[in-house]
Amino acid sequence: MNLSAYIAEAFAVLVANRVRSILTALGLVIGVTAVIAIQVLGASMSGAVGGVLGSLSERTFFVVPNQRQADFTRAAIRLEDLQRLRFDVPNVIDAIPGGQTVREARIGHSRRRLGVGAQSDERFASETPLIAGRKLTPEDIALARHVCVISGEAAQKLQITGAQVGSSLRVGDHRYTIVGILDRSRAGRLPSLANFDISIPYTLYEREYARGRAIIAARVLVDDTSKIAQTESDTLAWLAALKKGRVEYQTFDRKSFSKAVDGIFAGVTLVVGLIGAVSLVVAGIGILNIMLVSVAERTREIGLRKAIGATRFQILLQFFIEALALSAFGCTVGLVLGVLIGALVNDLAIVKLSGIVAPIPWLRSIAIATGFATIVTLVFGTYPAWRAATLDPIEALRYE
Amino acid sequence: MNSAATAIDVRDVTKTYVLGDVKVEALRGVTFTIARGEYVAIMGPSGSGKSTLMNLLGCLDVPTTGRYLLDGIDVSTLGDDALAAIRLRKLGFVFQGFNLLARTSAVKNVALPLFYAGIGVKARGATATERLREVGLGDRLDHKPAELSGGQQQRVAIARALVNDPAVLLADEPTGNLDSTTSEELMALFGDLNAGGRTIIMVTHDEGVASHARRIIRLRDGRIVDDRPTAPN
Ligand SMILES: Nc1ncnc2c1ncn2[C@@H]1O[C@H](COP(=O)(O)OP(=O)(O)O)[C@@H](O)[C@H]1O
Ligand SMILES: [Mg+2]
Repeated sequence: MNLSAYIAEAFAVLVANRVRSILTALGLVIGVTAVIAIQVLGASMSGAVGGVLGSLSERTFFVVPNQRQADFTRAAIRLEDLQRLRFDVPNVIDAIPGGQTVREARIGHSRRRLGVGAQSDERFASETPLIAGRKLTPEDIALARHVCVISGEAAQKLQITGAQVGSSLRVGDHRYTIVGILDRSRAGRLPSLANFDISIPYTLYEREYARGRAIIAARVLVDDTSKIAQTESDTLAWLAALKKGRVEYQTFDRKSFSKAVDGIFAGVTLVVGLIGAVSLVVAGIGILNIMLVSVAERTREIGLRKAIGATRFQILLQFFIEALALSAFGCTVGLVLGVLIGALVNDLAIVKLSGIVAPIPWLRSIAIATGFATIVTLVFGTYPAWRAATLDPIEALRYE
Repeated sequence: MNSAATAIDVRDVTKTYVLGDVKVEALRGVTFTIARGEYVAIMGPSGSGKSTLMNLLGCLDVPTTGRYLLDGIDVSTLGDDALAAIRLRKLGFVFQGFNLLARTSAVKNVALPLFYAGIGVKARGATATERLREVGLGDRLDHKPAELSGGQQQRVAIARALVNDPAVLLADEPTGNLDSTTSEELMALFGDLNAGGRTIIMVTHDEGVASHARRIIRLRDGRIVDDRPTAPN
């Protein structure tokens, strides 16, 4: 049927009307760019946040007071409560204070205000690897040793090197021996949930920071990850009994955090994606408009083509392919821009900030944008082509 | 006259346009035949139905009543695509306003009907080139219409009309946009084509132009009022 001739003709027409072709395609360029860039950035950002959550041990969950209750003062969990939780709730190995306390840390001439947090042994700790020394051991915990593990970020701020493992770090009024230095966490500069600047044995933390003070959040270590959901509900029931139902608590684990975060990103991606879709529909209306103009301008040409024997289908094809060519041009430019913008923002901002290289669904993003643009073109490109195809040749030839 | 020699056979053809409540009877019963190889001019005052008749003969429209056989085929009841196929294979059109595609070279303009006939690009170019040579434009193959004179443009249009080797060449006021010298040249070309066996039907206002034909059909108010051969010259 000689499609290549139709395609060549379509591009010749578009080039002959290049200014308006470009302006019309611009709508499509913007729409396709937006749809692709948004999906890429959504995946990149949720990957980054997922990476932050990845620094949480799968065996721990958080217990926090429900934010939506009137009286917070009664919500505090006391140290004694945590100790009882260990014994009363099955599967719980340990329950330790969550959150951190900010203190001035000093070593040599460096001084910085850093967060001190309670940490248990390796089973609790994040998956961030060490660059020097060791993590906290069960003996550190049991004996409440004055030792600490420094995060990679904190080590950099204090200019501590691996050679300084074994040195003493002043934190407020206390002194801790540095036993390990972590690598920079995969969570990078994004807020971290359990990667404290300075991690000390929770037994020490309880004595030096938590005694007599309200503990707002707790971290619970479970001996079997498959029982984590059950343990969470047991813990909530236990707390409800303890507080006689006057205070509500809620729990989070890595999975429920991820789910919440994924939900937020899915929502944002959907909303912004819909805006992109609307812009594609608007672009489609632009194509509809310019194709109607093109058909009107070439009424005589259409009359001539029909008079010399072109069928309705052949005329339809001509104008339909012209709309497709216009759309293909806009779509291609949009694809290139969308991929470029997505890749640039991903590499220069998100990966740099978070240190996390998330898998980006390039093909899916491109397919969705292209698919949507194609549907829009089919819908809005068909009507002008049909108008051209059904023109009466006599009327068309008489058209001025 | 046997039917194999009959190019056009029009019997009791009427055409009525309905505009709301108003009916315009453009043709009120027209009957004639045109044999192969004839050269006929259709004349008549404005509004007499010349264009309506040409549109019917050209299969751009169908009669309200009556029968029209083109090259032995009854085309009075055909649908859109069947009519398109007839126009493609059996008819060649020459218009007053040339109707060439502006951005397209002479040879591609001439090749256009071959494209719709599904003929490959090489064969299209070869046939179109040959037709342009026949109308004396062998050295203007790649010129765009704007680079050609009016007479040359009309020759391109004639080459296009002949490219599918049609049974009948239809020309509506072919000299309407041309000066008298160019018109004479064009009439000479029509004469040559007819001498070569082409069946030609043309509408014209101009008695001088019509005199080149060998038969004149005169219309008035949608009826044939006169149909006779021209004086031999
Ligand atoms: N499409 C149409 N709709 C309504 N009336 C028409 C149409 N075409 C032609 N007519 C009418 O039919 C009559 C014959 O017109 P036409 O064939 O164009 O005459 P001519 O070409 O001889 O000037 C005129 O009265 C004209 O107004
Ligand atoms: Mg007329």
